[in-house]
Amino acid sequence: MTPTARRDALRALVSAPGVTLSAPPILVPPAAYFDLAGEEFGARMILTQGTDGTEFCLRPDFTLPIAIDHIASGAATPAAYGYLGPVFRQRADGPTEFDQGGMELLALPDADAALDKIIAFARSVLDIYGVTAPHIRVGDIDLFETLLAACDMPDVWRPRIRARFGHPEAMSALLDRLANPHTATSGPVGMPETDIADWVRELMLTNGLSLTESRSPEEIAQRYLEKQALEAAHVPAETIDLLRRYLAISGAADTALAQIEAMRGLIDLPLDATRRRVDQLRLSGESSNLVFDAAFSPRLDYYTGITFEMTGQGRGVLVSGGQYDRLLQRLGANEQIPAVGCAVWVDRLEAEVRS
Amino acid sequence: MTTIMLALPSKGRIQDESLAVFADAGLAIDRPGGARSYLGEMAAMPDVSVRFLSASEIARELIRGTIDIGITGEDLIHETAAAGPDQIAIVKRLGFGRADAVVAVPDSWIDVTTMDDLSDVAADFRARHGRWLKVATKFVNLTRRHFAAHGIAEYRIVESLGATEAAPASGAADLIVDITSTGSTLSANGLRIIEDGTMLKSESLLMVARNAEWHEGKLETLVRLLSALGAETFQP
Repeated sequence: MTPTARRDALRALVSAPGVTLSAPPILVPPAAYFDLAGEEFGARMILTQGTDGTEFCLRPDFTLPIAIDHIASGAATPAAYGYLGPVFRQRADGPTEFDQGGMELLALPDADAALDKIIAFARSVLDIYGVTAPHIRVGDIDLFETLLAACDMPDVWRPRIRARFGHPEAMSALLDRLANPHTATSGPVGMPETDIADWVRELMLTNGLSLTESRSPEEIAQRYLEKQALEAAHVPAETIDLLRRYLAISGAADTALAQIEAMRGLIDLPLDATRRRVDQLRLSGESSNLVFDAAFSPRLDYYTGITFEMTGQGRGVLVSGGQYDRLLQRLGANEQIPAVGCAVWVDRLEAEVRS
Repeated sequence: MTTIMLALPSKGRIQDESLAVFADAGLAIDRPGGARSYLGEMAAMPDVSVRFLSASEIARELIRGTIDIGITGEDLIHETAAAGPDQIAIVKRLGFGRADAVVAVPDSWIDVTTMDDLSDVAADFRARHGRWLKVATKFVNLTRRHFAAHGIAEYRIVESLGATEAAPASGAADLIVDITSTGSTLSANGLRIIEDGTMLKSESLLMVARNAEWHEGKLETLVRLLSALGAETFQP
Protein backbone atom coordinates (compact mmCIF):
# COMPACT_ATOMS: atom_id res chain seq x y z
CA MET A 1 0.00 0.00 0.00
CA THR A 2 1.22 3.51 -0.74
CA PRO A 3 1.00 6.34 1.81
CA THR A 4 -1.86 7.77 -0.24
CA ALA A 5 -3.71 4.46 -0.15
CA ARG A 6 -3.22 4.23 3.60
CA ARG A 7 -4.51 7.74 4.04
CA ASP A 8 -7.52 6.92 1.86
CA ALA A 9 -8.18 3.84 4.01
CA LEU A 10 -7.99 6.00 7.14
CA ARG A 11 -10.32 8.53 5.55
CA ALA A 12 -12.75 5.70 4.80
CA LEU A 13 -12.70 4.70 8.49
CA VAL A 14 -13.42 8.20 9.76
CA SER A 15 -16.23 8.66 7.26
CA ALA A 16 -17.71 5.15 7.48
CA PRO A 17 -21.50 4.72 7.25
CA GLY A 18 -23.07 6.11 10.41
CA VAL A 19 -20.08 8.36 11.09
CA THR A 20 -20.30 12.09 10.36
CA LEU A 21 -17.04 13.35 8.92
CA SER A 22 -16.43 16.57 10.79
CA ALA A 23 -14.33 19.38 9.36
CA PRO A 24 -14.22 22.24 11.86
CA PRO A 25 -12.43 25.42 10.76
CA ILE A 26 -8.69 25.61 11.30
CA LEU A 27 -9.00 29.02 12.97
CA VAL A 28 -11.07 28.65 16.12
CA PRO A 29 -11.64 30.85 19.18
CA PRO A 30 -9.18 29.87 21.93
CA ALA A 31 -11.48 30.67 24.85
CA ALA A 32 -12.90 27.17 25.22
CA TYR A 33 -9.41 25.65 25.38
CA PHE A 34 -8.26 28.12 28.02
CA ASP A 35 -11.49 27.64 29.97
CA LEU A 36 -11.16 23.88 30.02
CA ALA A 37 -7.46 23.33 30.27
CA GLY A 38 -5.99 26.50 31.75
CA GLU A 39 -2.63 28.03 31.08
CA GLU A 40 -0.57 24.87 30.79
CA PHE A 41 -2.37 23.70 27.67
CA GLY A 42 -2.72 27.31 26.53
CA ALA A 43 1.05 27.53 26.32
CA ARG A 44 0.95 24.94 23.55
CA MET A 45 -1.49 26.76 21.29
CA ILE A 46 -0.62 28.88 18.27
CA LEU A 47 -2.46 32.13 18.84
CA THR A 48 -3.18 34.92 16.44
CA GLN A 49 -5.29 38.04 16.32
CA GLY A 50 -7.65 39.60 13.81
CA THR A 51 -7.42 43.28 12.86
CA ASP A 52 -10.43 43.94 15.11
CA GLY A 53 -8.65 42.36 18.06
CA THR A 54 -10.52 39.03 17.89
CA GLU A 55 -8.34 36.21 19.17
CA PHE A 56 -7.96 32.99 17.26
CA CYS A 57 -5.93 29.85 17.66
CA LEU A 58 -5.00 27.26 15.10
CA ARG A 59 -7.06 24.29 16.21
CA PRO A 60 -4.96 22.21 18.61
CA ASP A 61 -7.37 19.28 18.39
CA PHE A 62 -10.67 18.21 16.88
CA THR A 63 -12.40 17.02 20.03
CA LEU A 64 -13.38 20.40 21.39
CA PRO A 65 -14.78 21.94 18.18
CA ILE A 66 -16.70 18.72 17.59
CA ALA A 67 -18.10 18.69 21.14
CA ILE A 68 -19.09 22.37 20.92
CA ASP A 69 -20.90 21.80 17.61
CA HIS A 70 -22.58 18.74 19.05
CA ILE A 71 -23.99 20.71 21.98
CA ALA A 72 -25.35 23.30 19.55
CA SER A 73 -27.17 20.53 17.71
CA GLY A 74 -28.63 18.89 20.86
CA ALA A 75 -26.29 17.54 23.50
CA ALA A 76 -28.23 14.38 24.33
CA THR A 77 -28.53 13.18 20.71
CA PRO A 78 -26.34 10.13 20.10
CA ALA A 79 -23.80 10.83 17.37
CA ALA A 80 -20.56 9.51 15.91
CA TYR A 81 -18.01 11.90 14.44
CA GLY A 82 -14.86 11.17 12.51
CA TYR A 83 -12.08 13.54 11.53
CA LEU A 84 -8.81 13.72 9.66
CA GLY A 85 -6.62 16.74 9.12
CA PRO A 86 -3.93 19.02 10.49
CA VAL A 87 -3.77 20.19 14.10
CA PHE A 88 -1.29 22.70 15.49
CA ARG A 89 0.61 22.67 18.76
CA GLN A 90 3.85 24.15 20.05
CA ARG A 91 6.08 21.15 20.64
CA ALA A 92 9.72 20.87 21.60
CA ASP A 93 10.12 17.53 19.83
CA GLY A 94 8.23 17.63 16.56
CA PRO A 95 6.70 19.81 13.90
CA THR A 96 4.12 22.35 15.00
CA GLU A 97 1.67 21.19 12.34
CA PHE A 98 0.78 17.52 12.21
CA ASP A 99 -2.07 15.36 11.02
CA GLN A 100 -4.50 13.69 13.34
CA GLY A 101 -7.38 11.39 12.61
CA GLY A 102 -9.89 10.15 15.10
CA MET A 103 -13.37 9.34 16.20
CA GLU A 104 -15.64 10.71 18.90
CA LEU A 105 -18.82 8.97 20.08
CA LEU A 106 -21.07 11.33 21.99
CA ALA A 107 -24.17 10.54 24.04
CA LEU A 108 -24.31 6.88 23.05
CA PRO A 109 -26.60 5.12 25.54
CA ASP A 110 -24.37 2.07 26.05
CA ALA A 111 -20.95 3.21 27.26
CA ASP A 112 -19.34 -0.22 26.99
CA ALA A 113 -20.54 -0.65 23.42
CA ALA A 114 -19.24 2.82 22.60
CA LEU A 115 -15.83 2.03 24.09
CA ASP A 116 -15.80 -1.20 22.07
CA LYS A 117 -16.43 0.76 18.89
CA ILE A 118 -13.58 3.13 19.66
CA ILE A 119 -11.19 0.28 20.38
CA ALA A 120 -12.27 -1.44 17.16
CA PHE A 121 -11.63 1.80 15.31
CA ALA A 122 -8.15 2.08 16.87
CA ARG A 123 -7.37 -1.50 15.85
CA SER A 124 -8.52 -0.91 12.29
CA VAL A 125 -6.26 2.13 12.07
CA LEU A 126 -3.29 0.17 13.41
CA ASP A 127 -4.06 -2.59 10.86
CA ILE A 128 -3.84 -0.10 8.00
CA TYR A 129 -0.32 0.80 9.11
CA GLY A 130 0.69 -2.78 9.86
CA VAL A 131 1.09 -2.29 13.60
CA THR A 132 0.19 -5.77 14.84
CA ALA A 133 1.42 -5.83 18.43
CA PRO A 134 1.09 -2.35 19.92
CA HIS A 135 2.05 -1.66 23.49
CA ILE A 136 -1.08 -0.53 25.28
CA ARG A 137 -1.07 1.50 28.45
CA VAL A 138 -4.31 1.78 30.38
CA GLY A 139 -5.36 3.90 33.31
CA ASP A 140 -8.65 4.07 35.18
CA ILE A 141 -9.76 7.47 36.39
CA ASP A 142 -12.96 6.21 38.06
CA LEU A 143 -10.93 3.77 40.09
CA PHE A 144 -8.67 6.50 41.41
CA GLU A 145 -11.66 8.71 42.22
CA THR A 146 -13.28 5.80 44.10
CA LEU A 147 -10.07 5.24 46.03
CA LEU A 148 -9.77 8.94 46.87
CA ALA A 149 -13.36 9.12 48.10
CA ALA A 150 -12.83 6.09 50.33
CA CYS A 151 -9.54 7.24 51.89
CA ASP A 152 -9.45 8.70 55.37
CA MET A 153 -8.40 12.36 55.18
CA PRO A 154 -9.74 15.87 55.80
CA ASP A 155 -12.15 16.63 52.95
CA VAL A 156 -10.29 19.72 51.74
CA TRP A 157 -7.48 17.55 50.44
CA ARG A 158 -9.52 15.34 48.14
CA PRO A 159 -10.03 17.86 45.32
CA ARG A 160 -6.42 19.02 45.61
CA ILE A 161 -5.10 15.50 45.30
CA ARG A 162 -7.51 14.87 42.43
CA ALA A 163 -6.22 18.00 40.68
CA ARG A 164 -2.74 16.48 40.61
CA PHE A 165 -3.78 13.10 39.26
CA GLY A 166 -2.08 12.64 35.91
CA HIS A 167 0.96 14.72 36.90
CA PRO A 168 3.29 12.35 38.80
CA GLU A 169 5.80 15.00 39.94
CA ALA A 170 3.14 17.36 41.27
CA MET A 171 1.35 14.44 42.95
CA SER A 172 4.46 13.16 44.61
CA ALA A 173 5.43 16.66 45.76
CA LEU A 174 2.00 17.06 47.32
CA LEU A 175 2.09 13.67 49.06
CA ASP A 176 5.57 14.46 50.40
CA ARG A 177 4.27 17.74 51.75
CA LEU A 178 1.25 16.09 53.36
CA ALA A 179 3.52 13.53 54.97
CA ASN A 180 5.70 16.27 56.34
CA PRO A 181 3.72 19.52 56.51
CA HIS A 182 5.31 22.95 56.66
CA THR A 183 5.23 24.70 59.95
CA ALA A 184 2.14 26.85 59.98
CA THR A 185 2.47 30.56 59.33
CA SER A 186 3.31 32.36 62.50
CA GLY A 187 0.29 34.32 63.57
CA PRO A 188 -2.48 34.31 66.07
CA VAL A 189 -3.09 30.78 67.29
CA GLY A 190 -6.47 29.97 68.74
CA MET A 191 -8.12 33.07 67.29
CA PRO A 192 -11.66 32.26 66.14
CA GLU A 193 -12.28 32.12 62.41
CA THR A 194 -14.57 35.16 62.42
CA ASP A 195 -11.87 37.30 64.09
CA ILE A 196 -9.29 36.22 61.55
CA ALA A 197 -11.73 36.99 58.74
CA ASP A 198 -12.29 40.46 60.23
CA TRP A 199 -8.55 41.04 60.37
CA VAL A 200 -8.19 39.94 56.73
CA ARG A 201 -11.14 42.12 55.73
CA GLU A 202 -9.47 45.18 57.29
CA LEU A 203 -6.27 44.40 55.42
CA MET A 204 -8.13 44.00 52.13
CA LEU A 205 -9.99 47.29 52.55
CA THR A 206 -6.78 49.11 53.47
CA ASN A 207 -5.16 47.79 50.29
CA GLY A 208 -8.17 48.70 48.18
CA LEU A 209 -9.09 45.11 47.32
CA SER A 210 -12.64 44.08 46.51
CA LEU A 211 -14.06 41.70 49.12
CA THR A 212 -15.97 39.69 46.53
CA GLU A 213 -14.02 39.73 43.23
CA SER A 214 -11.31 37.34 44.36
CA ARG A 215 -10.70 35.25 47.48
CA SER A 216 -13.03 36.35 50.26
CA PRO A 217 -11.91 37.10 53.85
CA GLU A 218 -13.81 34.00 55.05
CA GLU A 219 -12.11 31.78 52.50
CA ILE A 220 -8.67 33.05 53.50
CA ALA A 221 -9.41 32.67 57.21
CA GLN A 222 -10.67 29.14 56.64
CA ARG A 223 -7.57 28.05 54.79
CA TYR A 224 -5.36 29.80 57.32
CA LEU A 225 -6.87 27.71 60.09
CA GLU A 226 -6.80 24.60 57.96
CA LYS A 227 -3.06 25.11 57.51
CA GLN A 228 -2.62 25.30 61.26
CA ALA A 229 -4.84 22.26 61.66
CA LEU A 230 -2.74 20.28 59.21
CA GLU A 231 0.14 20.79 61.62
CA ALA A 232 -1.94 19.25 64.38
CA ALA A 233 -4.12 16.76 62.48
CA HIS A 234 -2.29 15.34 59.50
CA VAL A 235 -3.64 13.45 56.59
CA PRO A 236 -3.05 10.03 58.21
CA ALA A 237 0.28 8.45 57.32
CA GLU A 238 -1.63 5.26 56.37
CA THR A 239 -3.61 7.21 53.77
CA ILE A 240 -0.47 8.68 52.24
CA ASP A 241 1.13 5.23 52.13
CA LEU A 242 -1.97 3.81 50.55
CA LEU A 243 -2.05 6.49 47.85
CA ARG A 244 1.64 6.09 47.13
CA ARG A 245 1.32 2.31 46.93
CA TYR A 246 -1.66 2.56 44.63
CA LEU A 247 -0.10 5.17 42.32
CA ALA A 248 3.10 3.11 42.03
CA ILE A 249 1.21 0.12 40.62
CA SER A 250 2.15 -0.27 37.00
CA GLY A 251 2.77 -3.42 35.04
CA ALA A 252 1.23 -6.26 33.04
CA ALA A 253 -2.50 -5.70 33.45
CA ASP A 254 -3.30 -8.97 35.24
CA THR A 255 -0.47 -8.57 37.74
CA ALA A 256 -1.27 -4.91 38.34
CA LEU A 257 -4.97 -5.58 38.95
CA ALA A 258 -4.05 -8.46 41.25
CA GLN A 259 -1.86 -6.05 43.21
CA ILE A 260 -4.79 -3.69 43.60
CA GLU A 261 -6.94 -6.60 44.71
CA ALA A 262 -4.27 -7.56 47.24
CA MET A 263 -4.72 -4.18 48.91
CA ARG A 264 -8.17 -5.40 49.96
CA GLY A 265 -7.27 -5.38 53.66
CA LEU A 266 -6.60 -1.65 53.40
CA ILE A 267 -9.11 -0.61 50.82
CA ASP A 268 -11.79 -2.48 48.95
CA LEU A 269 -11.99 -1.23 45.40
CA PRO A 270 -14.60 -2.57 43.01
CA LEU A 271 -12.56 -3.89 40.10
CA ASP A 272 -15.29 -5.42 37.93
CA ALA A 273 -15.70 -2.38 35.69
CA THR A 274 -11.94 -1.96 35.34
CA ARG A 275 -11.49 -5.65 34.45
CA ARG A 276 -14.26 -5.45 31.88
CA ARG A 277 -12.76 -2.38 30.25
CA VAL A 278 -9.23 -3.76 30.30
CA ASP A 279 -10.54 -6.93 28.66
CA GLN A 280 -12.09 -4.81 25.94
CA LEU A 281 -8.66 -3.42 25.19
CA ARG A 282 -6.91 -6.78 25.11
CA LEU A 283 -5.84 -7.77 21.63
CA SER A 284 -6.60 -11.43 20.80
CA GLY A 285 -4.86 -13.17 23.69
CA GLU A 286 -1.79 -10.94 23.65
CA SER A 287 -1.89 -9.63 27.17
CA SER A 288 1.82 -9.23 27.79
CA ASN A 289 2.00 -5.82 26.14
CA LEU A 290 -1.09 -4.52 27.93
CA VAL A 291 0.06 -2.46 30.88
CA PHE A 292 -2.19 -1.12 33.61
CA ASP A 293 -0.71 2.04 35.09
CA ALA A 294 -2.65 3.24 38.14
CA ALA A 295 -1.23 6.78 37.89
CA PHE A 296 -1.94 7.20 34.18
CA SER A 297 -4.42 9.93 33.30
CA PRO A 298 -4.54 13.12 31.27
CA ARG A 299 -4.32 16.00 33.71
CA LEU A 300 -7.70 17.35 32.68
CA ASP A 301 -10.61 16.92 35.01
CA TYR A 302 -13.20 16.14 32.34
CA TYR A 303 -11.75 12.72 31.63
CA THR A 304 -13.57 9.85 33.29
CA GLY A 305 -13.48 6.08 33.23
CA ILE A 306 -10.80 4.42 31.19
CA THR A 307 -7.97 6.15 29.39
CA PHE A 308 -5.47 4.47 27.08
CA GLU A 309 -2.60 5.01 24.69
CA MET A 310 -0.95 2.74 22.17
CA THR A 311 2.64 2.84 20.99
CA GLY A 312 4.52 0.85 18.35
CA GLN A 313 8.22 0.52 17.58
CA GLY A 314 8.85 4.26 17.90
CA ARG A 315 8.56 6.12 21.15
CA GLY A 316 5.73 8.42 20.19
CA VAL A 317 2.13 7.61 21.02
CA LEU A 318 0.22 6.35 17.95
CA VAL A 319 -3.27 6.27 19.42
CA SER A 320 -4.59 7.94 22.53
CA GLY A 321 -8.12 7.82 23.73
CA GLY A 322 -10.54 7.38 26.52
CA GLN A 323 -13.78 8.39 28.11
CA TYR A 324 -14.57 12.00 28.93
CA ASP A 325 -18.08 12.05 30.30
CA ARG A 326 -17.68 15.46 31.95
CA LEU A 327 -16.65 17.37 28.82
CA LEU A 328 -20.07 18.19 27.38
CA GLN A 329 -21.30 19.32 30.76
CA ARG A 330 -18.27 21.53 31.19
CA LEU A 331 -19.05 23.03 27.79
CA GLY A 332 -22.58 23.87 28.82
CA ALA A 333 -24.70 20.73 28.55
CA ASN A 334 -27.22 20.36 31.39
CA GLU A 335 -26.06 16.97 32.56
CA GLN A 336 -23.18 14.53 32.35
CA ILE A 337 -23.23 12.96 28.89
CA PRO A 338 -21.26 9.86 27.99
CA ALA A 339 -18.42 10.52 25.56
CA VAL A 340 -15.55 8.40 24.33
CA GLY A 341 -13.07 8.88 21.57
CA CYS A 342 -9.56 8.48 20.34
CA ALA A 343 -7.06 10.36 18.23
CA VAL A 344 -4.38 8.85 16.00
CA TRP A 345 -1.09 10.45 14.93
CA VAL A 346 -0.91 9.96 11.18
CA ASP A 347 2.77 10.87 10.70
CA ARG A 348 3.92 8.55 13.46
CA LEU A 349 1.78 5.72 12.06
CA GLU A 350 3.37 6.31 8.66
CA ALA A 351 6.81 6.13 10.32
CA GLU A 352 5.84 2.72 11.76
CA VAL A 353 5.32 1.42 8.24
CA ARG A 354 8.82 2.51 7.25
CA SER A 355 10.53 1.10 10.35
CA MET B 1 33.79 39.66 6.09
CA THR B 2 35.26 39.72 9.53
CA THR B 3 33.01 42.43 10.99
CA ILE B 4 30.77 41.47 13.87
CA MET B 5 27.73 43.38 15.03
CA LEU B 6 27.53 44.41 18.66
CA ALA B 7 24.26 45.76 20.06
CA LEU B 8 24.09 47.89 23.21
CA PRO B 9 21.05 49.28 25.06
CA SER B 10 20.11 52.72 23.75
CA LYS B 11 18.78 54.22 26.96
CA GLY B 12 19.41 55.03 30.57
CA ARG B 13 21.76 53.66 33.17
CA ILE B 14 22.10 50.32 31.52
CA GLN B 15 23.47 52.11 28.44
CA ASP B 16 26.05 54.01 30.50
CA GLU B 17 27.09 50.91 32.38
CA SER B 18 27.36 48.93 29.14
CA LEU B 19 29.58 51.58 27.58
CA ALA B 20 31.74 51.51 30.72
CA VAL B 21 32.28 47.74 30.32
CA PHE B 22 34.01 48.43 26.98
CA ALA B 23 35.80 51.62 28.05
CA ASP B 24 37.25 49.82 31.09
CA ALA B 25 38.65 47.15 28.77
CA GLY B 26 40.35 49.78 26.61
CA LEU B 27 37.69 49.46 23.91
CA ALA B 28 36.05 52.87 24.20
CA ILE B 29 33.00 53.33 21.97
CA ASP B 30 32.48 56.63 20.15
CA ARG B 31 29.35 57.98 18.59
CA PRO B 32 30.46 59.91 15.52
CA GLY B 33 26.89 61.05 14.94
CA GLY B 34 26.57 62.52 18.44
CA ALA B 35 25.24 61.19 21.73
CA ARG B 36 21.81 60.48 20.26
CA SER B 37 23.12 58.55 17.30
CA TYR B 38 22.19 54.88 17.01
CA LEU B 39 25.54 53.96 15.51
CA GLY B 40 28.85 53.60 17.35
CA GLU B 41 32.45 52.96 16.54
CA MET B 42 35.13 51.11 18.46
CA ALA B 43 38.47 52.71 17.52
CA ALA B 44 40.51 49.88 19.04
CA MET B 45 38.60 47.27 17.01
CA PRO B 46 37.23 48.77 13.79
CA ASP B 47 35.81 45.37 12.78
CA VAL B 48 33.24 45.56 15.60
CA SER B 49 30.33 47.64 14.39
CA VAL B 50 28.15 48.98 17.18
CA ARG B 51 24.39 49.58 17.16
CA PHE B 52 22.30 51.06 19.93
CA LEU B 53 18.91 49.35 20.20
CA SER B 54 16.17 49.00 22.82
CA ALA B 55 16.84 46.28 25.38
CA SER B 56 13.96 44.12 24.18
CA GLU B 57 14.99 44.45 20.53
CA ILE B 58 18.46 43.29 21.50
CA ALA B 59 16.94 40.21 23.14
CA ARG B 60 14.84 39.47 20.05
CA GLU B 61 17.65 39.97 17.55
CA LEU B 62 20.15 37.94 19.62
CA ILE B 63 17.69 35.05 19.67
CA ARG B 64 17.14 35.32 15.92
CA GLY B 65 20.85 35.71 15.29
CA THR B 66 20.58 38.92 13.25
CA ILE B 67 23.11 40.54 15.58
CA ASP B 68 26.19 38.69 16.78
CA ILE B 69 26.78 39.86 20.31
CA GLY B 70 24.98 42.18 22.68
CA ILE B 71 24.11 43.28 26.17
CA THR B 72 20.61 43.05 27.59
CA GLY B 73 18.71 41.77 30.62
CA GLU B 74 18.46 38.04 31.31
CA ASP B 75 14.73 38.40 31.96
CA LEU B 76 14.19 39.65 28.41
CA ILE B 77 15.95 36.62 26.93
CA HIS B 78 13.64 34.32 28.90
CA GLU B 79 10.60 36.33 28.02
CA THR B 80 11.09 36.93 24.31
CA ALA B 81 10.89 33.23 23.46
CA ALA B 82 10.29 30.15 25.58
CA ALA B 83 13.46 28.58 24.19
CA GLY B 84 15.31 31.93 24.17
CA PRO B 85 18.02 30.93 26.69
CA ASP B 86 19.06 28.05 24.40
CA GLN B 87 19.61 30.41 21.47
CA ILE B 88 22.30 32.47 23.18
CA ALA B 89 25.58 31.86 25.02
CA ILE B 90 26.27 33.93 28.11
CA VAL B 91 29.90 35.02 27.96
CA LYS B 92 29.89 37.49 30.83
CA ARG B 93 27.58 38.34 33.72
CA LEU B 94 27.86 42.08 34.19
CA GLY B 95 26.46 42.61 37.69
CA PHE B 96 24.34 45.63 36.85
CA GLY B 97 20.70 45.99 35.85
CA ARG B 98 19.77 43.64 38.68
CA ALA B 99 16.08 42.85 39.05
CA ASP B 100 14.13 39.86 40.28
CA ALA B 101 11.09 38.35 38.60
CA VAL B 102 8.83 37.45 41.51
CA VAL B 103 5.41 36.05 42.36
CA ALA B 104 3.50 38.46 44.60
CA VAL B 105 0.12 37.96 46.28
CA PRO B 106 -2.11 40.40 48.16
CA ASP B 107 -0.76 40.88 51.66
CA SER B 108 -4.18 39.91 52.96
CA TRP B 109 -3.66 36.35 51.70
CA ILE B 110 -2.26 35.49 55.11
CA ASP B 111 -2.52 31.79 54.36
CA VAL B 112 -0.24 31.99 51.32
CA THR B 113 3.47 32.14 52.02
CA THR B 114 4.90 29.58 49.56
CA MET B 115 4.29 28.23 46.05
CA ASP B 116 2.82 25.12 47.70
CA ASP B 117 0.15 27.27 49.29
CA LEU B 118 -0.52 28.83 45.92
CA SER B 119 -0.87 25.41 44.36
CA ASP B 120 -3.58 24.50 46.92
CA VAL B 121 -5.36 27.79 46.34
CA ALA B 122 -5.19 27.26 42.57
CA ALA B 123 -6.56 23.72 42.86
CA ASP B 124 -9.56 24.95 44.90
CA PHE B 125 -10.14 28.20 43.07
CA ARG B 126 -12.24 27.11 40.16
CA ALA B 127 -14.71 25.13 42.22
CA ARG B 128 -15.14 28.10 44.56
CA HIS B 129 -15.22 30.97 42.11
CA GLY B 130 -16.28 29.44 38.81
CA ARG B 131 -13.18 30.75 37.04
CA TRP B 132 -9.45 30.12 36.98
CA LEU B 133 -7.08 31.85 39.31
CA LYS B 134 -5.77 34.86 37.31
CA VAL B 135 -2.15 35.92 37.27
CA ALA B 136 -1.34 39.33 35.79
CA THR B 137 2.10 39.59 34.20
CA LYS B 138 4.05 40.55 31.15
CA PHE B 139 6.42 37.65 31.84
CA VAL B 140 4.30 34.94 30.27
CA ASN B 141 7.04 32.40 29.54
CA LEU B 142 8.77 32.75 32.90
CA THR B 143 5.46 32.45 34.72
CA ARG B 144 4.42 29.34 32.83
CA ARG B 145 7.78 27.75 33.53
CA HIS B 146 7.81 28.59 37.24
CA PHE B 147 4.22 27.50 37.81
CA ALA B 148 4.75 24.26 35.89
CA ALA B 149 7.86 23.55 37.98
CA HIS B 150 5.63 23.78 41.06
CA GLY B 151 2.99 21.54 39.51
CA ILE B 152 0.43 24.32 39.19
CA ALA B 153 -1.79 23.97 36.14
CA GLU B 154 -5.03 25.55 37.30
CA TYR B 155 -4.59 29.21 36.44
CA ARG B 156 -4.81 31.72 33.61
CA ILE B 157 -2.40 34.46 32.67
CA VAL B 158 -3.80 37.93 32.09
CA GLU B 159 -1.26 39.79 30.01
CA SER B 160 -0.42 43.11 31.50
CA LEU B 161 1.72 45.64 29.73
CA GLY B 162 2.11 48.18 32.50
CA ALA B 163 1.23 48.87 36.14
CA THR B 164 0.95 45.15 36.79
CA GLU B 165 1.03 45.85 40.53
CA ALA B 166 -2.42 47.47 40.27
CA ALA B 167 -4.07 44.36 38.82
CA PRO B 168 -5.32 42.81 42.10
CA ALA B 169 -6.89 46.09 43.26
CA SER B 170 -8.50 46.74 39.88
CA GLY B 171 -9.93 43.23 39.82
CA ALA B 172 -8.01 42.33 36.65
CA ALA B 173 -6.19 39.48 38.39
CA ASP B 174 -5.81 37.74 41.75
CA LEU B 175 -2.04 37.88 41.98
CA ILE B 176 0.88 39.07 39.88
CA VAL B 177 4.28 38.15 38.54
CA ASP B 178 6.47 41.18 38.05
CA ILE B 179 10.03 42.40 37.99
CA THR B 180 11.27 44.28 41.01
CA SER B 181 14.60 45.54 42.27
CA THR B 182 13.66 46.67 45.77
CA GLY B 183 10.12 45.38 46.27
CA SER B 184 8.94 48.84 47.34
CA THR B 185 6.38 49.27 44.54
CA LEU B 186 4.93 45.91 45.47
CA SER B 187 4.56 46.67 49.15
CA ALA B 188 3.16 50.13 48.38
CA ASN B 189 0.43 48.28 46.51
CA GLY B 190 -0.31 45.87 49.34
CA LEU B 191 1.47 42.97 47.67
CA ARG B 192 3.89 40.51 49.22
CA ILE B 193 6.53 38.39 47.49
CA ILE B 194 6.06 34.75 48.45
CA GLU B 195 8.98 32.85 49.94
CA ASP B 196 9.95 30.68 47.00
CA GLY B 197 8.37 33.06 44.51
CA THR B 198 11.57 34.43 43.02
CA MET B 199 11.53 33.00 39.52
CA LEU B 200 14.67 34.60 38.19
CA LYS B 201 17.41 36.80 39.59
CA SER B 202 18.10 38.80 36.48
CA GLU B 203 21.08 40.97 35.63
CA SER B 204 22.53 42.39 32.43
CA LEU B 205 24.49 39.87 30.42
CA LEU B 206 26.94 39.97 27.57
CA MET B 207 25.67 37.32 25.18
CA VAL B 208 26.66 35.79 21.86
CA ALA B 209 23.94 34.78 19.39
CA ARG B 210 24.12 31.06 18.60
CA ASN B 211 21.92 31.55 15.54
CA ALA B 212 24.24 34.11 13.95
CA GLU B 213 26.41 32.96 11.09
CA TRP B 214 29.75 32.00 12.62
CA HIS B 215 32.39 31.53 9.97
CA GLU B 216 36.08 31.65 10.67
CA GLY B 217 36.62 35.33 9.93
CA LYS B 218 33.90 36.53 12.26
CA LEU B 219 34.89 34.02 14.91
CA GLU B 220 38.41 35.37 14.92
CA THR B 221 37.11 38.90 15.57
CA LEU B 222 34.81 37.58 18.30
CA VAL B 223 37.66 35.75 20.02
CA ARG B 224 39.72 38.96 20.13
CA LEU B 225 36.78 40.95 21.50
CA LEU B 226 35.93 38.38 24.16
CA SER B 227 39.48 38.04 25.32
CA ALA B 228 39.90 41.85 25.55
CA LEU B 229 36.80 41.89 27.75
CA GLY B 230 37.93 38.96 29.87
CA ALA B 231 34.77 37.13 28.86
CA GLU B 232 34.32 33.39 28.49
CA THR B 233 35.04 31.79 25.15
CA PHE B 234 32.25 30.93 22.76
CA GLN B 235 31.81 27.57 21.02
CA PRO B 236 29.50 27.87 17.99
